[in-house]
Order: sequence, then C-alpha cells, then structure tokens
Amino acid sequence: MTDIRAPETDPFDPAAERDDPPRPGPRSPGTGVFGISDWLKWAWRQLTSMRIALVLLFLLALGSVPGSILPQEGTDAPGVQQYFTAHPDLASWLNRLGLFNVFAAPWFAAIYLLLFASLIGCVIPRTFRLAGSARTLPPRAPRHLLRLPRSAEYVTALPPADAAEVAARVLSGHGFRLRRPPAGDGAEGGHWVSAEKGYLREAGNLLFHLALHGVLVSVALGGLFGYKADRLLVQGQTFADTATALDEFHPGRFVTDADLARFTMTLDKFTVSYISSGEQAGQPSSFDARVTYTGQPGTGQTGRVRTSNLDVNKPVSIDGAKVYLIGHGYAPVFKVTDARGQVVYNQATPFIASAGGNFLSEGVVKVQGAQPEQLGFTGVFVPTAVNVNGTLESVFPAADNPVVSLIGYAGNLGMNSGPPQSVYQLDTSAMKRLTANPQLLHPGQSMKLPGGQGTITFTGYVPWISLAITHDPGQLPALICGMAALGGLLLSFMIRRRRVFVRARSGPEGVGTGTGTTVVQVGGLARTDASGGFEAEFATLAAELRSAHERAVPAAQPVPPQPEGE
Amino acid sequence: MLRALPIRTRRRTVVLAAAVLAAVLVVVLVTAWPGGGGDSDATTVDGNAGAVLYPAGHRPVAPGFTGTTLTGSMLSSSSYRGQVVVLNFWGSWCVPCREEASTLAAVAAKYRPSGVSFLGVDVRDTTASAQAFVNQFHVGYPSVGDPGSVITADFSDVVPIAATPTTLVIDRTGHIAGAVFGTVTYSDLTAILAKVTAKGG
Repeated sequence: MTDIRAPETDPFDPAAERDDPPRPGPRSPGTGVFGISDWLKWAWRQLTSMRIALVLLFLLALGSVPGSILPQEGTDAPGVQQYFTAHPDLASWLNRLGLFNVFAAPWFAAIYLLLFASLIGCVIPRTFRLAGSARTLPPRAPRHLLRLPRSAEYVTALPPADAAEVAARVLSGHGFRLRRPPAGDGAEGGHWVSAEKGYLREAGNLLFHLALHGVLVSVALGGLFGYKADRLLVQGQTFADTATALDEFHPGRFVTDADLARFTMTLDKFTVSYISSGEQAGQPSSFDARVTYTGQPGTGQTGRVRTSNLDVNKPVSIDGAKVYLIGHGYAPVFKVTDARGQVVYNQATPFIASAGGNFLSEGVVKVQGAQPEQLGFTGVFVPTAVNVNGTLESVFPAADNPVVSLIGYAGNLGMNSGPPQSVYQLDTSAMKRLTANPQLLHPGQSMKLPGGQGTITFTGYVPWISLAITHDPGQLPALICGMAALGGLLLSFMIRRRRVFVRARSGPEGVGTGTGTTVVQVGGLARTDASGGFEAEFATLAAELRSAHERAVPAAQPVPPQPEGE
Repeated sequence: MLRALPIRTRRRTVVLAAAVLAAVLVVVLVTAWPGGGGDSDATTVDGNAGAVLYPAGHRPVAPGFTGTTLTGSMLSSSSYRGQVVVLNFWGSWCVPCREEASTLAAVAAKYRPSGVSFLGVDVRDTTASAQAFVNQFHVGYPSVGDPGSVITADFSDVVPIAATPTTLVIDRTGHIAGAVFGTVTYSDLTAILAKVTAKGG
C-alpha cells in the first residue's frame, strides 16, 4: 500500500495518529527556489491542515452572526426595507457586503466551499492511510523480546521450529494476525512468530472517516435536492401544496415547484391547553392540530383521505415531505361594510403574537375593496384582557376574555400598484386616521366608522397554525453516517492494537546435541496500555503458550518448568 | 521505502488536489447556475420571458375542474369545451392583479365577438373581498373560487404557476397554447390570442 505519508506505515508510530502528518516536499516558502507549483502545493497543504479547517469552521460560525442580527432578504424582506429607511448610509454599505443576504453572499460561499475542500482534502488521505494501516502485517519479531514491556521466558523440549509452530497455532486460535519468517530464512532469522490483534481499531477509525465523507455528501444532497416551505393555516382552511399556496418556499438548487410533495391539507381543529395555575401558569401543556389530508392534490380527490394529529416535534410524512407544526396564534374574524353598505371584507385575519406576552397579538386589516375610500385597521387581539391602570394587558394565553383594540384609517392602502406588501403591515402614509383613540370590541360588537365610512364587526376568532413543510433527502443518510461515525469512533477508542512476539532458540546446553531444550521468549506490547487489561491478557496468553508447548512435548520427555523471566 | 519515491507521493498529492478542486468547481458551477429554467419547447412573445407560446404538438392538456363561482353557482370547465378560453389566476390581495385588471377587461371586450371566453380563478381569497374587487374593476366574466389553491395545484402540474397573476390561454382542443407569468400587457395577451384564434391555431 503506497501512502501519502512517506515513512513506512506503522500504527505504533505516534506520527500515524497525528492529524497533520509531515508530508514530503518543500516545507515553506522562502527556502530555496520556490516555483508556482511549490506555492500551489504549499497552499494545498495549508488548506488541508486541521488548523485551517478549524479556522474556517470558526469563520463560518462568525459569518453567520450578522445573518441572525440583521434582517435578511429571504426571511424578512420588509425588515430590510425598514433598515434601509432607518439607516440609509449604513444600510447601503451593509448591502454592498451582502450582509442582508448572508447565506447567499459570495464571501460566505467562499468560506464554506473552502471548508468543504479542506475537509475532503484532509479526510481522503487519512482514509487511504488508515486503509493501509488496517491491512499491514505485524512487523518482524524484534531480536530481544525480553526488552519489551511484557515478556516471559521458559524452556521446552520441543525443537525451535516446532515450538514456533505450536505458538503460531495458539495465537492464531486467539484471533491474532500472524507473520512468520519467510521460507528459507529459518537458519538466519531464527524461528519466530509475530502476532497482532485489534485491527478493529483501524477498522473503526476507517469507518469513522468514511462516515465523515458520507455526512458531507448527505449534507450536499439535502442542500441540492431538499426544500423548506412555510404555510400559515387558519382553522377550517385547506391548502394544496403548490407554490401559490405557500407563504415561503426555499427550494434547493435542483428543486423546482414541480418537485413539491403532492398533497392537500385541511386544518379541522386546533386546540392548545395551558397550565392554569402554579409557577408554570400560562405555559402550554399540550397541542393538538387535527388535520385531514389527501396525498392526491387537486379537484380529483382520488387519494385516500387520512387524518392526523400534529403536535410539536410530531410531524406527519406525506409523499416524501415532513409537515411540522411550528407555531400558532389567533385569527380574529372581521366583517367590514363600506360607505355604500356593501360587505367588502369578511374573513379570519391572522394576528401575530407580540412581545407583550400571553398571546397579545398584533395584526392589520386591509380592505382594498372598500369604496369610495380604502379602509385599513391596525389591531391588537387580547385573549384574556384585563385593564391595568388604563392599559389593556393579556393575563393568560387562552381566549378567556377576548377583546380587540382597533385603530381605523381611510385613504389609499398603496396596493393599486408598486411592490407587494407584507400582510402584517399597514402603510398609512396616504391614509388618514379615523379615530383618535383605539376602539375596544368584544366578540359580536361592531364599530361605526366616523363620517359614514362604514362599519367593522368583530364577529369572533379562530386559531391558526403555522406549518413547516420540509424535504431533506440527506437527512436519513446523514443520520446513518453520523451513527456510523460515532460507532467507528467508539471502536477506535475502546480497542487497542496489541502485539505478541514469540521466539524459539536452541538452548545453550542443547547446542550440538540436537535433542536438548529450546528457550522460548514471549514478548508483548500494546498501545496506550496505561489503564491495564493487556497485562492480564498477556499473562494468560503466555501461560497458555507454555502449557501448549508442554502438551506438545511427547510424554517420554517431560521438561521441568523453569521460572518465568520478566 | 516510500521515502525513496517522493515523486510518486507528490504526484499523488497533486492528483488528489486536482480531484478535490474539480469537485469544488462542480459545486461552484452548480451553485452559481441559474435555477429553474423554462420549457425549451416554448417560444417567448415579443422577447418577454414572462409571455410564452407553446407550439402545436407541445401544448399541455389543461386539467378539468369544477368549482363555485363568486355568485354561488357551480361552474365546470367542460362547459367551455370547443372554445378558446383565457384563464386568469388572481386574488383581490394581489397588487399586480389590481394593476392588470383593466387590461384584462379591455382584452375580454375586444375578443368577445371572436368567441373567446374569459374565466377567473380566484386564489387564496374570500368571496366578500373578491366580489368587491369584481365590482370595483367591473370584471365582466365569472371567477371560480380556489381558496385552497387546489385548482391552481392541478394546473401547476402542467405549467409552472409560481405566483399570481398567471394567465393561461387554452385553445379549442383544450390544450394550453400560451401563458403569461406575471402582469399581462395588452400587447402580449393580444399577440397570443391572435395566434390561437387564427384558423387552425
């Protein structure tokens, strides 16, 4: 096995376990003639070093910080616009640096591509090296076995060749990989057996590295062929999983609208229970979103209709996609008639929980169809309203005393042309405020707008849930590879490579007689033997070798046991 | 042993580096390549990428549907068989839909004598808001309510409807002959209709 690393592969060489093995070639720039190819090689070595990989990983983490501090184009486009109006000078610079779309910025791509190259360039050579190491034979037996950390010596009546043969059989029976002197080498090199065990350690190490490749590939798979979408669904509403019905759609590189999972889903009922007393009062105790879905979207509805109860972290799998319950809230229902008495708005309007706590929620009502002037309302929904010193507060997240507080506007909503608007924001720049103070409404109550502009009725409220629809083809492979990596790591931690050598020489008194005794030396060493274990294993093995040798001697020639050497 | 063969190991490093760089290059190209991509069979109208004409023989079959109109009556696509139909996907909440409403009304009036029927699919909307829209823009043709985007999903299987507004022109044989993705312009829609209503079109 040839190897990236130049020295002969020896797993007991500490260098073999190093992350940054020394490699041939020029060490650094500045020493002698340094051409372009040397520079490239030097750059490659730097890139694939563990140190640079860690630096890149750190940069990746650092680079994603602005993505969580600043509003991002993909997730919060209105927030970006707001930032631009608030800090025009700063924003234009931040925009030039791509800080409003960090995860698509060229510098961010540069970091993760370099990291990817670094990891692959680091892991592939290690894989080869480990594969080589797992296949190597143990080295030849050293000449002086008694110098090894563990050793034993005894004599047997067996001739050296037979003694070595018996030892080989015993060691082989214990699952050792053997190496014997090559044929014809007997007289010169002596009779010896080299045995090694614990190759599973290398196999574990190899598994870990291969699994790392697998994780990288899985992540890439997920990024290229996966997608993530969001949809807010009001109780009683239905949606088909298609681009126009999704609030957010983040497809992978090779994903188009046509690759969306095929289903139609209806939220039949959503209930959430809250802890009513004690320290945890107001905390949700259970969620239950009963949905009906069919795997066949469209009007045909030929697919089997199924029901499922979604819970947090309990998604439903449909056609390769997972549908998660990720949030919920209240959607007050409003009915608006305009100045002509026509009903121009009648629907549940999702409000979003604000920082006020206890599901004090905010939202807007846009009545584009109102004539002669468009109407708009900013509203606050208070599930359990209590008047605290003149301000309305929500004291419990359940709707025990629901109230909405509305401020009405009339004029131009700015929706007849221009860029799409957020449904949660009202552009009041071309509107006039109808009332000085917010108006409170209980369910069923109406409010007449001044100047005969119309009426708004708070007819009731329904819950909504937000769903995340994800498809990640790399998820299962990544999980399997991650588990394999962990298993490999455990193997490589728990199993020690250990070697046992046996040498059989003709004893001094037997020289020339041909029937004399044979001195058997057994030596052993293990890597990282600090915690023990090998000591006992070696003692047992030495004893077994000795008794095997004794048993192998013909009964007529008993040999008294000799004291063990150390 | 290998110390004696530094050239071999060096070559190996270079090969490996080249392979990894090639892989990275592939990833970069893949990431930088513009996503999506239109139907290669379709031709654009007046260089507008959002308006396309599908040549005869490459026209997808329009899915059939039934639904409730804004005025509460049932409507089936089968009753339009044999006619050229302009199918407009819209919503009262959609800004460009409001922008194109008067254009659609004008084209509908112009092509009514030619036997072209206009039909709306009102996506993710409520009857009250949609009816207000229809009144405000004097939309003279019916619309089928599609609050759950269910009809839209069926059509999305054959033409890439990514958002509203999208306008499809269905020929007399029930095939989708042309489409405008985004706000329609008078010239784009009339150019498509001129082709589709022409004899044998």
